[in-house]
Amino acid sequence: MIAHFDLDAFYASVAQRDDASLRGKPLAVSGSSRRAVVLTASYEARPFGVRSAMPLYRARELCSELIVVPPDFPRYREASRACFEIFEAGARAVEGLSLDEAFVEIATDDIDAATAYAQTVRDRIRQEVGLSASAGVSRQKMVAKIACDEAKPDGLKTIAPGTEADYLAPMPAGKLWGVGPKTQARLVSERIERIGQIAALSDTDLFRLFGRWGRELRELARGNDTRPVVSDRETRSVSSETTFEYDVRNLTELRQVLRELAVDVAERLATHHLRGTTIGIKIKRDDFTIVGRQTTVAQPTSEASVIEAAANRCLERVDLSAHAVRLLGVRVASLTEELTEQISMFEHKESPWA
Amino acid sequence: MKFTCSTKDIASAVGAASKIVNAHSTVPILSNVLLSAGDDTIRVRATDLELTLEHVFPGEIQEPGSVTVPARLFSGYLGNLSAGIMELSGTPTRASVKCQRSNYDFHALPPDEYPPLPASQKGRSFAVDGKRFREGINATIFAASSEEARGAVLMGTLLEVSGDQITMVATDGYRLAKWQTNLVRSADEEGTIKYIVPSRALAEVARNLGGAEKVEVTALGPAGNQLAFAAAQTSIVVRLVDGQYPNYGQVIPAQFDRSVAVNTSALIAGLRRAELVAGDRASMVKMSVANQQLIITANSDTTGNAYEELEVEQTGDDLTIAFNARYLVEILTHVDAPQIKMEFLGPLSPAAIRPSDEPEGVRQMYVLMPLRQ
Repeated sequence: MIAHFDLDAFYASVAQRDDASLRGKPLAVSGSSRRAVVLTASYEARPFGVRSAMPLYRARELCSELIVVPPDFPRYREASRACFEIFEAGARAVEGLSLDEAFVEIATDDIDAATAYAQTVRDRIRQEVGLSASAGVSRQKMVAKIACDEAKPDGLKTIAPGTEADYLAPMPAGKLWGVGPKTQARLVSERIERIGQIAALSDTDLFRLFGRWGRELRELARGNDTRPVVSDRETRSVSSETTFEYDVRNLTELRQVLRELAVDVAERLATHHLRGTTIGIKIKRDDFTIVGRQTTVAQPTSEASVIEAAANRCLERVDLSAHAVRLLGVRVASLTEELTEQISMFEHKESPWA
Repeated sequence: MKFTCSTKDIASAVGAASKIVNAHSTVPILSNVLLSAGDDTIRVRATDLELTLEHVFPGEIQEPGSVTVPARLFSGYLGNLSAGIMELSGTPTRASVKCQRSNYDFHALPPDEYPPLPASQKGRSFAVDGKRFREGINATIFAASSEEARGAVLMGTLLEVSGDQITMVATDGYRLAKWQTNLVRSADEEGTIKYIVPSRALAEVARNLGGAEKVEVTALGPAGNQLAFAAAQTSIVVRLVDGQYPNYGQVIPAQFDRSVAVNTSALIAGLRRAELVAGDRASMVKMSVANQQLIITANSDTTGNAYEELEVEQTGDDLTIAFNARYLVEILTHVDAPQIKMEFLGPLSPAAIRPSDEPEGVRQMYVLMPLRQ
């Protein structure tokens, strides 16, 4: 059985947990720059229409008494670590999707036992971490996630084996994995709005509408999702890459992208509670040749700044004079679990290095 | 240019020089070694601009002059010659070798394009015993940082000369090596002199000058920003790291309140076994000291559990502390003593490691920061 857990309004809830004066008030976690967006809105802010990814000025327009606090990532990581440790107890595999979201495979075929496990996890997170988590339980990943979304906030929903297709059928097609806004628009023009309609499509229509992955999509729609929960422990490397719309020659631009990729990789390492010592870059040139460079750091890291610095040194070792760059990627490997930390001589107060 | 020499002499000289050459250099002539003939001696020189090595060997000079040859290629060729006599003649574009029944021409580059020798203005100097200096270099430089991102200063090793003493210190911020001995000849100037030497340059000094009875060390250049190490046939000149070395004295606790004395090889073996299990957990091993015993444990969800028991001489309170086993093993393998002493203050404080009985004339100690669990 698979459970999907999602911490409710994670950043905002951590802030409210740690500061009683924020509880029960509309709250947004956001940066402070003029272009800042809302990272998380508390449930009190949501009735005003405040949503994550919304520009902060817009959120303030919607809700005049909105309290805005800056993000505190070390604290989020700490809370996330504590929750993931709770997931691990009794789990066969834990696959983190972000700091506040994970799939957990439970070693049972009994839906009641799985539901009991999910409830225990939710209780423990409330007692030990002081946060509320929602959960969805099902035989499969996608259904568990959809059920979890429906259970929010602070709820638990179980979809019994064999009822997945019926559960999915009336849902909007956009809930299916892999159906983005573009595909959805195309489906609307074909008058396909519900997942049940996709489940009933013929092979010919499937291919016409979705191409090669049509059959896979229909299997999902029919409640046949066989993808396994992939344990974070089996993760060998974490990477992020981007293909440019136009080939890039400008080193400043490449460095800028490298920074974004490093931030992305760092976030994903944090999601899986991993750190790595091997940092590498991948470049595809405009003649489609691929070059890679890598370097190692002494201490396992998940720090964006360390990854960025190492990636930049790799970039310096690539001869970019002859070709423009089509694709740039950053990768961190030689991963270890984020359980221990080498104490540095640097961190002592009376540090001679300062 | 033309000279005759022993194949053995030239092979070892060019072999040593070619190790300095940076194989990835973008300046073609830096891939070459410079051979200069004059006054019954032949000089072989290689440089990567930071480090310059010159080796002198005897020969019969028919025509003085210079030639530059690709280092790797030429050293590979010489390494495959049998012992005997060879003749080398050079022009700005060609080096020709005759040896027994083989004749080779190598493409050369004009010797006047070769970087000139570093400044020769001499400053203060002192001398060390070559063999002892090699021991000291080997016992310290491994602790230096190998990460460019953390700066050249930490990648270097500190040479501190004061009176008739030399102290070498290397650290990457997680462990620190300190080694002291007496000079063969004191510095010709009062006060403490500090040099930060790139650690890889010291490795070359140990390799090339470690057999010498006496190594002369001389500051070069008007700003004294280069250091020359010289013995009989070989000299190495290195550009020093510009910067302030951390005040390492501050991270070495003045006093410890507990310690263990333990058999070095038994501890190394135990740690190496335990580390196998701890591999995917940052090589973390826990060491617990109680009842005159040292218990080493390690565990990982993917591999299993490790448990090792060692008899120790314990003084002071019990303690549990975690280390990166690899760091600790690396330190222990550089302590040439049957028994070592580890000293502690607490689970999150620096620990010291030193030989229980120090070899004569040498003082050696290491500091290792623990892991936080």
